[in-house]
Amino acid sequence: MKRRSFFQGAAVLPALPAAAQYGGAGAVASELPKLSETAPEAAADGVRTFFTSEQLATLRRLAELLVPALKERPGAVDCGAVEFLDFLLKASPAARQTLYRNGLDRLQAESQRLHKKAFAQLDAPAAGPILAPLRKPWTSAPPADPFARFLREAQDDLLQATVNSREFAQAMSRRSRSASGVNAYWLPLD
Amino acid sequence: MKETYDVLIIGSGAAGGMAAWALARGGAKCLMLDAGPLVDYDKQRVMKAVYDLPYRGFGQPGRFPHVVQASEFDANLWADEKQNPYSYSPGEQYNWVRIRAIGGKTLRWGRQSWRLSDYEFKCKDHDGHGENWPVSYSDLAPFYDRIEPMFKVSGRSEGLPQLPDGIYLNDDSRDSTCVQRFSDACKKRGITATKMRRATGTLAASSNILLPEALESGNLTLTPNAVVREITVDPKTGLANGAIFLDRRSKRVYHAKAGIVIVGASTLESTRLMLNSKSRLFPNGIANSSGTLGRYLFDQFYVKGSVIATVPEARGGKGGRGLMGGGGYVVRFRNVKEKQKNFIRGYALDFGSGFSPAARYFPLYGEALLNEMNETAGSGFSITTMGEALPLYENHVRIHPTLKDEWGIPVLHISQKYSANEHAMAKDAMEVGAQLCQDAGFQVIAQHSQMAPPGESIHELGTCRMGANPKTSVLNGWNQCHDVKNLFVVDGSSFTCGGVQNPTLTILALSLRAGEYILEQRKKGNL
Repeated sequence: MKRRSFFQGAAVLPALPAAAQYGGAGAVASELPKLSETAPEAAADGVRTFFTSEQLATLRRLAELLVPALKERPGAVDCGAVEFLDFLLKASPAARQTLYRNGLDRLQAESQRLHKKAFAQLDAPAAGPILAPLRKPWTSAPPADPFARFLREAQDDLLQATVNSREFAQAMSRRSRSASGVNAYWLPLD
Repeated sequence: MKETYDVLIIGSGAAGGMAAWALARGGAKCLMLDAGPLVDYDKQRVMKAVYDLPYRGFGQPGRFPHVVQASEFDANLWADEKQNPYSYSPGEQYNWVRIRAIGGKTLRWGRQSWRLSDYEFKCKDHDGHGENWPVSYSDLAPFYDRIEPMFKVSGRSEGLPQLPDGIYLNDDSRDSTCVQRFSDACKKRGITATKMRRATGTLAASSNILLPEALESGNLTLTPNAVVREITVDPKTGLANGAIFLDRRSKRVYHAKAGIVIVGASTLESTRLMLNSKSRLFPNGIANSSGTLGRYLFDQFYVKGSVIATVPEARGGKGGRGLMGGGGYVVRFRNVKEKQKNFIRGYALDFGSGFSPAARYFPLYGEALLNEMNETAGSGFSITTMGEALPLYENHVRIHPTLKDEWGIPVLHISQKYSANEHAMAKDAMEVGAQLCQDAGFQVIAQHSQMAPPGESIHELGTCRMGANPKTSVLNGWNQCHDVKNLFVVDGSSFTCGGVQNPTLTILALSLRAGEYILEQRKKGNL
């Protein structure tokens, strides 16, 4: 709770006419105190709603491997990208949900087959052969193999969820003063 | 009884806005109906960080399956696909992109402003395909001349017959080194690369350039939130006499009356409205005695990122000002002087530089990928192909037998497929684009010729085409229906063919010309 911000705003009130203080006929928006707010994602942890705990652990390891932290640049896990994708997939069309669920299960199955342990336990060299489809050149048509398609989509999604996160913006703003990711948002039309 | 207006204008975008500008200022009492609300461009928008959006910029999943242009920032601006459904057959995806608000798609258009030439207006004379327009470039040129200054179009004259020059704010800005290298590579192969020709200003919309002056005349009544259901006809005269519309929010039904009706609701909405306007006199839709209403749907196909390259000298963060940045336009060169063997017509290339290539173009992951993305940041050079799609009879829209929109109005079934001609063109464009990049010393990292689904260019055209023959067209050379002389259709649906040029400037020119023709005919007592 940003109590200090609220009281800073409230401090201007005595200088205003009484009607303005109570939002009366003479009040205009710019004279009202601006209350600072905090988005839910910055205030609390998201609750898992889509993946199983095993799938989530697999996705977390995949995120570490695909979008690791690099110098000052936070990685996907640091940016809450895994938990965000759990939320996003819950709201996504069925075909995309299936692609992700099957993709994560396939990672787990391949890990068990090759190394007899969970994908979440694999180090980078051990995961390498399983992630080989990501070393194939880009084609305009999505890969025919659903597993390869899953890896491509997961990589894009994890990158976007990372770069578009609050944590990433905060980390990068220490390096640059440019306000990247800020844009004009259209309010709902009546 | 409410007033009977001189002119009813349906739609407030480029087509409707231009007609209103001409007619209201010319003294005609006009009523304009638009399905969407009046938008306050300043109050309707607030600055937000992407991380403060509910979906981190991904957008609400499934909200816009056909509008790839919609971002989470502007999602509320685009027409809702659930309220405004349409259909297509399996395997024939059509991306219909709409805005329902005063100003229409001019609120978000790309502002590219290119004139058509007689390579388009007299296309059949060049290659024998399709039909000539019933107008020529010389008919439209005086209107282009007037519109370009209104929209403050900047550009550079080139003296090319296939892309006539206009009245421009002269763009003599210096090109970055990479753009200059690419332009030089084009020149060596006899190809012209030029500056973009685009409308300038903070906002270049109907709602700030056309409608204010039309309203100032005191002759325009602007009614937002009016979803038009059908054009009404006087059964005694066979003339249009108004339109039935519903209040978008309350769904209350109204009848607006007018002596002349102008339809400028956007290509497919206009045709949908006319097909839905059935009566004893017009059982297949108003002004459709030819049976061509809904036929000859086409657009310009897009191949987005048909070539992606990096500029080697810009790698490692060395692509500062001077070397990278800016872009341009490769003017159509195919089938202008020499004939291609495997396709007719041509394409243009839109190129840009200075961006960071996306992760998907690198066959890497993890730290190696991030390092490569860092290395190539700001060094990207890309080409998008924009090609002419042929107007074909089989590409069409029709009214869906059962599906209706939020207001109970039957919706469209859309059927458009690209032909072998377009596919051959897309492949040629990719090969030429890659060669030009290599000639310029760039490193090509990806190339393809996979066209975006029809509709995605937002340049849908045809379905209510002009023509000299009333048996094979709906409109004459004044955008006037052959069958109903007081009904005019002034948007992209009237195009006979479309070339590769973005169509808005020509829509504006046609609408201005039709508006002034109406004024003249009213004076003569012919309308």
